[in-house]
Amino acid sequence: MNDMRIVERDVDITENKITARGVQVYYGTNHALKDVDVDILDKTVTAFIGPSGCGKSTFLRCLNRMNDTVASARVEGEILLEGENIYDPKVDPVQLRAKVGMVFQKPNPFPKSIYDNVAYGPKIHGLTRNKAELDEIVEKSLRRAAIWNEVKDRLDASGTGLSGGQQQRLCIARAVATNPEVLLMDEPCSALDPIATAQVEELIDELRSQYSVVIVTHSMQQAARVSQKTAFFHLGHLVEYGETGQIFTNPQDPRTESYITGRIG
Amino acid sequence: MSVGILSLIVLALAVVGFFVGRSRALKSVQGDSRRLHSLPGYYGQTVFLFTAVPAFALMALWLIVQPMVIDGRIVGQLGPQIAEDATASKLAMEDVARIASGLDALQARTGMTNDELRDLSADGSDIRGRLAEVGIALGSEVDPLIFEMAKSFRIMQANGAMIMSVLVLVLAVAGFVLALRRIHGEFRARNVSETFVRWLLIASAGVAILTTVGIVMSLLSETIRFFGIYPISEFFFNLTWNPQFRGGSDLGLIPLLWGTLYISFVAMVVAVPIGIFAAIYTAEYAPPKVRSVVKPVIELIAGIPTVVFGLFALVTVGPFLRDYIAMPLGLGNSGSSVMTAGLVIGVLNIPFISSLTDDIINAVPQSMRDGSYGLGATKSETIRKVVLPAALPGIVGAILLAASRAIGETMIVTMGAGAAAKLGLNPFEAMTTITVKIVSQLTGDLAFDSPETLVAFALGMTLFVITLCLNIFALWIVRKYREQYE
Repeated sequence: MNDMRIVERDVDITENKITARGVQVYYGTNHALKDVDVDILDKTVTAFIGPSGCGKSTFLRCLNRMNDTVASARVEGEILLEGENIYDPKVDPVQLRAKVGMVFQKPNPFPKSIYDNVAYGPKIHGLTRNKAELDEIVEKSLRRAAIWNEVKDRLDASGTGLSGGQQQRLCIARAVATNPEVLLMDEPCSALDPIATAQVEELIDELRSQYSVVIVTHSMQQAARVSQKTAFFHLGHLVEYGETGQIFTNPQDPRTESYITGRIG
Repeated sequence: MSVGILSLIVLALAVVGFFVGRSRALKSVQGDSRRLHSLPGYYGQTVFLFTAVPAFALMALWLIVQPMVIDGRIVGQLGPQIAEDATASKLAMEDVARIASGLDALQARTGMTNDELRDLSADGSDIRGRLAEVGIALGSEVDPLIFEMAKSFRIMQANGAMIMSVLVLVLAVAGFVLALRRIHGEFRARNVSETFVRWLLIASAGVAILTTVGIVMSLLSETIRFFGIYPISEFFFNLTWNPQFRGGSDLGLIPLLWGTLYISFVAMVVAVPIGIFAAIYTAEYAPPKVRSVVKPVIELIAGIPTVVFGLFALVTVGPFLRDYIAMPLGLGNSGSSVMTAGLVIGVLNIPFISSLTDDIINAVPQSMRDGSYGLGATKSETIRKVVLPAALPGIVGAILLAASRAIGETMIVTMGAGAAAKLGLNPFEAMTTITVKIVSQLTGDLAFDSPETLVAFALGMTLFVITLCLNIFALWIVRKYREQYE
């Protein structure tokens, strides 16, 4: 675990972006997430780690109410985004998802042109008044996702024709284009090769300057490399949450220690 | 030996072969099946296949080829002036076949021996009367030449059947022995029967393709004959369809083609939106319970025979459109109309389009929808902007397949649209289609040398080419865009 000394960790920001209190999630009769309390900081990368089925992806999908699309899912407790409960009936989940962008495990560009992929969000939310503004957003988003130089000459080409790493960065550009405040990433590198993974990780570190990033990952090295805060989930419980360096070098809970040393998982 | 008994014998031999082969394989390794290369059943299977399949293949081939050969030889006996005239030789052959089957019946009824039959001649005995007694009515007194031919026809048939039986049995036994002798512990029976099965499957696929080729060839040869006696430009460019059985008819394709396309257009205007909307509902909105009921019920429509749809058009839709729409608007007073047939064909095609579209929409990966929802799109935005564009090639393919069905529809048009070949724009007027005219040109007394009859083949060929092009286009579109989101 020498990796974690590489990244400079400045968790001097203390402003909470998301505050979760007593979150319970049920899938039918299955109690998938039990009483989770978490404070996610602004302009910070927060990693969720834990063995498969521990509830980390479930919790991530609560943060932008993607669980609403699963008929059997039921969420209890409260999740505040800048002090506003996102499960309040007044909140429109569709508007919320524009503010809390999401990048998925498998790159899923739409079968449209690269330009249309990025312009999709701004178009449906009416963020631009004319084509020039839209062009600007597309370029800015692609630049921010560190893919502009690779695709600027073929914006009309299909997004599905790109390589896996490029597709994932395109999906990040697509999520960035709606100008979100929080970016959720569900194992964004698990379908990518090591080089593409390195590119995406570098990108995540850059995105930290503007967004609060939450990343679910199976790779502890990745969590150590990219995150400032780490939360360890096990069997639906949030076992331990703290600064990444502390979690990996000096875990407080024996379960965390067992997991990061490879005895459970 | 009849074909049925022969088949049973071959089959029995094959079944015996299965068990003998299986036990022989086991015996070769002293009953320890672990030392065999394949499971014991595979050894039996090879014997079964090698016994049955070649024998049955020979039998099928023989049954197809034998009548052709015999007919050829009988026609040869007719004498040149009859043999060259296609119609006369055909009539003569029909007589020969009828008398031959009459002689068969006579023999079965009266128990005559073959020798007695051979001595029978058309001059001496009242053949016509005796055949009438056993239920074979002949139009005229029996021509001695025809009678002799019928007798040799029977003999050739009997000889052919005999040779076939012998050859089939020999082949079956040979296959049996050969396959059995190959069996030993190391013999790779699993691979052999695998290969055998593969060739069997290839042969089955070949039959389907050969049938299509055969249909096209027969259509083509008659079409060429038609264009030999009727000018090709008249057929394609004459604006009148007016067949006269005394000759001098106008056989223009255009009014029929117009009717076909007009009715199909109306049908697609009905079927495409309803079908696609129904599919979007079942695939995206319906809860699983509703979907499991609604989808089969929609597909049930596809199982209703088109004749029943035709009745519906004739007694319900037609009069309704005439009384409540066409007459008040002054658009005519015909019960059968383009609108009637188009609407009903449209309804017929709804399940076809909705079922295919539903499958295609379901094939769009869930990750596409998640991506769209994750960006804050609503359900209908997701469907309109992501799911449908991704599914579009497949949907276009489904629409084109449905269109070729609409173009080929016959029964509903016959009962709903009438039989008047007209070029017009009024959808409440009776019109007709290519398919209806094919049927009407081929009903009644047929003379296969007049353009009025042969035109049916040219019409069929036209229809075939149109639907073939549509199908190829549909398949091309589906294939070209199929794996775009993989």
